[in-house]
Amino acid sequence: MRAFAPRPDAKPVDPKATMNAEYVRDLLASPTDLVLKELAIGAEGERVVVCCIDGLVDRTLVDERLLRPLMSKAPLDEAVIASPGFLVWLQDSVLPLQGASLANDLNEAVDALLAGDTVLFSDASRQALVVSSQGWKTRSIEEPQTEAIIRGPRDGFTEEIRTNTSLIRKRIRDHNLRMVSKVIGRRARKELVVAYVEGIVNPELLKEVMRRIDTLDMDDFEGSGFVEQWLADHPLSPFPTITSTERPDKVTGALLQGRIALIVEGTPFQLIVPATFTTFFQSPEDYYQNWYITTTLRVLRYLAAFIATFLPALYIALLEYHHGMLPSKLAFSLAGSREGVPFPAVVEALLMEVTLELLREAGIRLPKPIGQTIGIVGGLVIGEAAVAAGIVSPIMVIIVSITAITSFALPAYSFAISLRLLRFFIMLCAAVFGLYGIILAYIAINVHVVNLQSFGVPYTTPIAPTFLQDWKDFLFRAPVMQMSKRPEMMQTVENKRMKERE
Amino acid sequence: MKPFDYADAKIGTREMAILISSIILGVGVLTMPRSIAQITKSSDGWVSILIAGAIAIFFALIASKLASKFPGRTFYEFASSVVTKPIAIVITAAFSAYFIGYGAYETRMIANISKQYLFDQTPVEVIAFVFIAVMAYSVSGTQIALLRLNVLFLPIVLFILLFVLVFSTNLFEVNHLKPFFVTKSFDLIGASKESVFSFLGFEMVLFYAFLMRKPAKAPIASVIGVLIPLVLYLLVYIIAIGVFTNEGTANVQYPTVELAKEVELPGEFFERFESLFFTIWIMTVFNTASISIDVALACMRSILVSVRKPVAISGIIPVVYFIGMTPQTIGEVSLFGEWLSYIGIVLVGVVPTSLLIVSKARGIKGNG
Repeated sequence: MRAFAPRPDAKPVDPKATMNAEYVRDLLASPTDLVLKELAIGAEGERVVVCCIDGLVDRTLVDERLLRPLMSKAPLDEAVIASPGFLVWLQDSVLPLQGASLANDLNEAVDALLAGDTVLFSDASRQALVVSSQGWKTRSIEEPQTEAIIRGPRDGFTEEIRTNTSLIRKRIRDHNLRMVSKVIGRRARKELVVAYVEGIVNPELLKEVMRRIDTLDMDDFEGSGFVEQWLADHPLSPFPTITSTERPDKVTGALLQGRIALIVEGTPFQLIVPATFTTFFQSPEDYYQNWYITTTLRVLRYLAAFIATFLPALYIALLEYHHGMLPSKLAFSLAGSREGVPFPAVVEALLMEVTLELLREAGIRLPKPIGQTIGIVGGLVIGEAAVAAGIVSPIMVIIVSITAITSFALPAYSFAISLRLLRFFIMLCAAVFGLYGIILAYIAINVHVVNLQSFGVPYTTPIAPTFLQDWKDFLFRAPVMQMSKRPEMMQTVENKRMKERE
Repeated sequence: MKPFDYADAKIGTREMAILISSIILGVGVLTMPRSIAQITKSSDGWVSILIAGAIAIFFALIASKLASKFPGRTFYEFASSVVTKPIAIVITAAFSAYFIGYGAYETRMIANISKQYLFDQTPVEVIAFVFIAVMAYSVSGTQIALLRLNVLFLPIVLFILLFVLVFSTNLFEVNHLKPFFVTKSFDLIGASKESVFSFLGFEMVLFYAFLMRKPAKAPIASVIGVLIPLVLYLLVYIIAIGVFTNEGTANVQYPTVELAKEVELPGEFFERFESLFFTIWIMTVFNTASISIDVALACMRSILVSVRKPVAISGIIPVVYFIGMTPQTIGEVSLFGEWLSYIGIVLVGVVPTSLLIVSKARGIKGNG
C-alpha cells in the first residue's frame, strides 16, 4: 500500500454515499477523467459510489474485481448492506482484491484517488474503502541509458517506484532490508522510499538522513535532482556529494556496504548517500570482472579524469609559456602545424572546447537518427574544415578529441560534468599563469575538495582520513576473497560480509 | 553534524607524522645542498645533516612531550597554565609573528624560484599575489581540511622527489664523493646549523597536537615526521654532490631543482624536467606556507578571542604579502630567511624546553 501523509484538514466521510461523491466532484471541479459510478444495490436502493480517475487506474481490475462482484445478481446479504460494517464485509469477504483499506478522512481518500486508487463510498458507512488499483501506462524495464556496462545485469530503474523497490527486493532477500516510505511535495505528494539494511547501516547516519528528509518542503521535486540538491552538504560545490544511479545492482551493492538509498517516485535516477570522491570512479562492473582487470580499468579512469580536466590547459601552458619543456622535435612539429593559425593557443583551445560542448549538447536534443549525423558533421567535417581553413591546428583537434573521449570514460555522469566545468576554469588559469596557474588551480580545487563532506563523511575518505583497509576498493580492487570486510569508512554495525579465509 | 566518529575533526598518529614531514619539506630542501656544500669539503656534509636531524628530533621530542602533557588543549591554553597568562600572551604573539614571517618567506621564495624556472616576464609581485590568494582560500576552510590537504599532497611530492633522485643516478659518480672525512669538525657543526634551518617545522606539533585522537602518541609521530625528511635530505645531498661535485653544488642557486634538470627520461617526452619537478614541489611549499599562516591565525585568535576568522584572515594576508615583498634582491631574501631561521630556532628550541622545565618544576599536571 502507498503511504500517505496525515492531512491537517481532515473531513469525515459522510454517511450518504452521493454526498461524498458530490464533495469529490466539487473538490476536483468535475474533471472529465473523473469516473463516478453509482450503483444501487439492495432492496432499499442503498447506494454505492465507485470513484476513480480514468487513465490512472487499471480498468480491467476495477471492472472485474470491483464492479462485477458488486453488480452480479448473486445475492448480497440485505442486512449487511444497510449496516455500517458493510465495507468491512466487502473488503474481507466479497472483493477479490489484495490492496484495500478503509479511510475515515475524505481528503485522505481524495489523495488516494489522485494517486490512482479507486475509492468506494456506501450509504450507512462513515468510512470509505480505498482499493489499490494503479494501472497507468508505464515503461518496461530497460537497460540503463547512462550507465551501460558489458558484463552484468541489464535491468535498470524505471519511473515506477514499485518496480524500482521490487528490483531491489529481488536482489536482497534479507528480512532486514528496510524501506521506509515518506510522502514529499506540497502539491506533487510523491513517494520517497528510504532503503537501508538494518544491522549494517550506521544508526547515526540513518538518523541524519531521516532528519534531512524531514526538512524537504517544496511543491514538487523534479526528478531526484531537487532532492539531491536539497539534501547535499554543499549545494554550491561543483562536485556531487550524492551518487545518482539508474542501476539497481549499484544500489544494492551500496546498501550492503552500509549506505542508504533514496528511491524517488517518477524518475529512474535513484540516490545513494553518502558519496565520496572515490565512489565516482567505481562502476558495478568492477565487481563482475576479475580483480586485475578492474584494477587496470580503475587506474585508467583516474588517468582519464586527469586528462579530461587538464589536457587542454597543459596544451595552452606548454605552448604559450614553456615551449622549452617539449622535446625539440615535437616543439618544431607543433610549431609547424600551428603555422598560419591566427589565434593564440588559448583562443584556439577555447574555440574548440566550446564547439565540442555545443556538439554534445546538440547531440542530446536532436532526434536519435539525426544525432548521429551531427556527430559526423560536427566531429569530422567541422574539425577537418577548421584545420583546412587554418583556424585551428590539427594538434588542437587531437587534444579536443582526446578530452572528449576521456570524459566519457568516467562511469559517473554527474561527476564527469563537474570536471568539464573545471576544465574551462583551469584553461583560463593556464592561459594567464602557465604551469604555475595550473598547479595553483589544482591546489585550489584540492582545498575545496578537502573541505567537502557528504553526510558527515569527508569527501576525500579513504585517502585522508586514511583507511588503508578501504584502499582495497580504491585504485586497486583486491581479489574477492580479500574483501571480507565492509568499508571501514562506513562504520557499519556489522562489518563481516563473507567468511574470512585463513 | 557528525555521525561518523572519524569525521570529528581529529587526526590520527599517521596523519600527524605526515603533517610534520610535509611541513618540514618546503623551500629548504631546494637550497640546502648548496648551503652545506659551501661550508664543508667533499661529501662530508652528510654528517652535518645527521647532526641537524638529531637536534631536530631532540627538540621535536621535547615539543611533543610538552604538547602531549596537555591533551586537547591549544598552545595558548597550556602555555598560560604553565607560565601565567601575560607571558603566554607574549610567547603566543611571538610565535604568531614568526609564522607570519615564515609564511611570507616561503611565498617570496616560491615566487622567486617560479620567476626563474617558469616565467620570463611576469613580475614576482603578481606571482606571489596569486599564491597568497589561494593560501587565503585554504586557511579560510577548517583546520582539519588543511591537514587533510597535506595527507593528499605528500605522496605526490615524495613520488616526484624520489623520481628525480632515481633518474639522476645515471650521472652519479662515486668519485665525486671522495675523499671522506676531510672537513674540520668545526665546519661540520657550522654546516649543521645551516641544515637545522631546513628542519624547522617540527614545532607545529605544539599547535596541532590538541587535534590528535591519541595525544600520547605525539612524540612518536613527530620523530617519524622528522625522520622522513632526514632520509630525503641525506639522499638529496649525497646525490647532488655525486652529480655536481662539491664545488658545483656550492655554486648553483637551487641545486635540487638543477638536479631535476639533469633527469633524462627514456622516450624523451619531457625536456627541462626541472620545471615539472618544481611545479609539483609548489604543492608542498604551499602546504608549508598555508600551515604557517593557519597557525599564525590560530595563535592570534587564541589571544584575541573576539576576532572572527574572516576578519583575522583579511588582516593577516596583506601583512604576509607586504612582508614577503619587502626584500628587494635575492641576497636580501636570503638574509631575511636567515634571520627568520635564527628567531625560529630560538622559539622552537628555547620556548618548549623552558615550558617543559617550568611545568615540571611547578609540578603542573596536565590532564593526560
